[in-house]
Amino acid sequence: MFQNTKCECGHQNPPGTVLCESCGKPQTEELMANPEALLEMRYDGVARRSQKADPQLIDKVWNFFSSVKIAVYMIVLTLIGASLGTIYPQEGTFINLTEREEFAAYYRETYGTSGVVYHALGLSRTYESWWFITLLVMIGASLVICSLDRVLPLYRALAKRQVRKHPQFISRQQAVYAGRVDGDPDEWIAKFGSALKRKRYRIHVEDGALLAEKNRFSRWGPYINHIGLIIFLLAVLGRTIPAWHMDQYLALYEGETRQIPGTNYYVTSDDFTVDYYGEDELAPNQKNMRVVKLYETKARLFECVDKCDDPSAEPVLGQVKEHAIRVNSPLAYKGLKLYQNSFMERVRLLSVKPTLADAVSGEAFGDFELRMDEPALEYEVGPYRLRLVDFYPDFGLDSQSRPMTKTREPNNPAFVLRISGGDVPEAGELYIYFPLPNERSRYYESTFNESFRQRGDNSGRFEIRVDNPVVDGKMNNVKYSEYTTYLNIRVDRAMPYIWVGAAISMLGLVMGFYWQHRRIWLRFDGSALSLGAHTNKNGYGLRAELAWALGRAGIETPPKSLENRRSIS
Amino acid sequence: MNNGWLDFSDGAFIAAFALYCVSFFAYAVAVAGKRWSNRKPGEHLERWGRIAFVVAVTGWLAHLAFFFTRWIGQGHIPTSNMYEFMTFLGMAIMLAFIVVYFIYRNKLLGAFALPLIIIMIAFASVFPHESQPLIPALNSVWLKIHVTTAALGEAFFAVGFAAALMQLIRSADFTRTDKRAKRAHRWTEFSLVVILIIVGFIVAVFAFRAADYKAEFTEMAPISAEADAPEQLKQVIYHLPPIFQPHDSDTISVQPFLGMDKALFEAPGWMEGVNAGKKLNTVVWSIITGLILYGLLRLLVRKSLTAFLHPYLTDIDAADLEEISYRSIAIGFPVYTLGALVFAMIWAEIAWSRFWGWDPKEVWALITFLFYSAYLHLRLSRGWQGTRSAWLAVIGFLVVMFTLIGVNLVISGLHSYAGV
Repeated sequence: MFQNTKCECGHQNPPGTVLCESCGKPQTEELMANPEALLEMRYDGVARRSQKADPQLIDKVWNFFSSVKIAVYMIVLTLIGASLGTIYPQEGTFINLTEREEFAAYYRETYGTSGVVYHALGLSRTYESWWFITLLVMIGASLVICSLDRVLPLYRALAKRQVRKHPQFISRQQAVYAGRVDGDPDEWIAKFGSALKRKRYRIHVEDGALLAEKNRFSRWGPYINHIGLIIFLLAVLGRTIPAWHMDQYLALYEGETRQIPGTNYYVTSDDFTVDYYGEDELAPNQKNMRVVKLYETKARLFECVDKCDDPSAEPVLGQVKEHAIRVNSPLAYKGLKLYQNSFMERVRLLSVKPTLADAVSGEAFGDFELRMDEPALEYEVGPYRLRLVDFYPDFGLDSQSRPMTKTREPNNPAFVLRISGGDVPEAGELYIYFPLPNERSRYYESTFNESFRQRGDNSGRFEIRVDNPVVDGKMNNVKYSEYTTYLNIRVDRAMPYIWVGAAISMLGLVMGFYWQHRRIWLRFDGSALSLGAHTNKNGYGLRAELAWALGRAGIETPPKSLENRRSIS
Repeated sequence: MNNGWLDFSDGAFIAAFALYCVSFFAYAVAVAGKRWSNRKPGEHLERWGRIAFVVAVTGWLAHLAFFFTRWIGQGHIPTSNMYEFMTFLGMAIMLAFIVVYFIYRNKLLGAFALPLIIIMIAFASVFPHESQPLIPALNSVWLKIHVTTAALGEAFFAVGFAAALMQLIRSADFTRTDKRAKRAHRWTEFSLVVILIIVGFIVAVFAFRAADYKAEFTEMAPISAEADAPEQLKQVIYHLPPIFQPHDSDTISVQPFLGMDKALFEAPGWMEGVNAGKKLNTVVWSIITGLILYGLLRLLVRKSLTAFLHPYLTDIDAADLEEISYRSIAIGFPVYTLGALVFAMIWAEIAWSRFWGWDPKEVWALITFLFYSAYLHLRLSRGWQGTRSAWLAVIGFLVVMFTLIGVNLVISGLHSYAGV
């Protein structure tokens, strides 16, 4: 349908324009038919793309997403959906369950019928569900389209400013004043303008009319906020790129070094410590409770620098970072982050420092260090040489009573050593040694050594023992790990974009909410003054400012009287 | 932990509470006394409004003294459990009220903001006061930054709520008898009843605490707050007479109250969660006490509370109240976003290795954000100004309170340490 959209002031407006872009005269029939009603000043009444006369399919999609009403619906649906997900715990919170059947059984047993329904509807995975993600994507689309649909026309409308506005435009603003001014209008305008200047308005004067404007930048606040939110949402989507994201757990006992799977990095836990609050630090209602004060892993991070992919060679490691990892203080290195997740009190033998001695005289020949993982194959002790023949980290007997190791963990280690050198015969002597001093190990140790002696493999003249195992109440010549620490290893390459998005969004919010765009138009027709003012927020502040400036120009009027009492059409 | 700082702090808290009550009384005189004979209404309101405001600010200074001496005394910021957080929120609401007061200079607003603050810190006092040392998860500068900023944002929402409630009472039209007017009247009255139920909760808890009331039961309960924790036989102690005893429980002892020497009912089995029976019993007691209070007030004023309060608000336009409510929310929104979402995400990234984890508290913080964004967007459209927008401000504050308290009481999650 052809529409004449030329305003009486001569300006050609695009179809859909509510207020003439130039002089501000109302253009719609509804507004013209009702000359008393307050003007709807949203986006300054400019035509938006979504108001195209004859919409095609793509326009219809555009129109859908450009509607604030639809956006509010989507926000409300998202908040209802999100709240549903908090009724029962989400599946992701159970680390010990993995299978669908396990989850189904859990919800059934714990919550009964409502649990079954909850799980069957997929609400136990609300935030990963297709409909929830679709809602978020739609909100993202709405953010982009709503902003584009409005920001460009609004920019055009605000840039194009005719100072002398149509009388209807002025008299139908939210704050108005009309009256007669005696004397020269231009003089009055100058006085009024200089008062407004003190309130940091920019003044434009043109043949008996004035436009004062300030804080226009605050109009861009919502759009900057939306740009920030879009970046934020895109960054969230970016986290699904596998190479951008790593999330794994690593258990380390004290003294252990392990490669972080999938990377070139190695991490060592040198020491793990836990502090508890003392009795005098606890509150009266916490008596007899053990409250953790601090736990930390003294960790070192290494990068492999040579022989990294050669399985037959030891990788060469270079230390890149040292940090005491605590909750609230992760180790961070080039986007890789190691977090303190939890810990477990579990004693694990690391090494012992036994003494080789004469079984009869007790004379010590020297000591040597036996590590429980990857023990060295040869040891020099005084005049003797010890060679590791066999190692059982978790000693046991198989069904035919042959020695074997039950696990790789050093729960009950046994070392078989061949002693040679010095005055020992060429073939050497064979001994078995159990570092853990429990009764069963003692029994095995003496039984096996006795059978070696009977076979002629040893003479029984040597003894391997730990000297001074306890000094001042502390373990001596024995190293063990008390705690196993659990570290959470993370890589999240999207994080910088998340923070940038959040920062932009905050900037937009502050711009939009803590400043208000204020405009004042006035025109003289002879000695008749008509004045109208508009702000997008805080009409109270605008009226106060206006009353103050009018007062400076000789018109005393209470701020309240400036309020345009007409209702919005 | 016991030291002079903490003793002083407790004293300052009581002083703050007393001064807030005095201020509320002065506001009531300011508003009600306008009609007293032989005085000029404007002057009276001006004078008593000023007295009330000065007393309130003095109370706030005492409140600040409480906060900082407790901080010194215990060595970390007092925002780490429910008692400390709710008192801090009360202090933040007072700050938000002062800010809004200096923008609008509205004398009546205090008459609604002060009771809100008083209820808030009286509610806080229900929870254990003990000053507990920090657990490692809370030991971070972000405890100071995140919690205080989020609370300040919520405080502005609270002031927005107070103004919206005033707007609803103000715009109740008793000359109209059509369905819509009646419905609006009914719902406004209902909001006031809900507030009285919260007061009822506080009154019931303190009355029976003063009487040292106790009833004991044993029930099967999970051994910890984790969702898949195994169950064991546990003792439950009630400090309110048991209208509902825990589901499937055995009575050990019940102090008689009004001849009631055993529980009247048993909590239904579908109520899940830690201490479900005890919570149900508390809710029922709150409702009963709140309704008794409401009944007494009705007897006293002989009309609905809305109709009773309405004439005192006729000096102020509903549109001005709406502007105050909207502005307060608009000031609070960026602060809330920064504190409850952005700072929260930064801290979560440092402490829990992910910035977002769909923990119930996080989700509800997001829901609060979404709700107020919907409110701000709706105000752009026609038909959502006026009382509809006021209702949104009221519901929004309900969402805030659920996020702060409801989530901790009803839903378990990572934030449950901040519990009771």
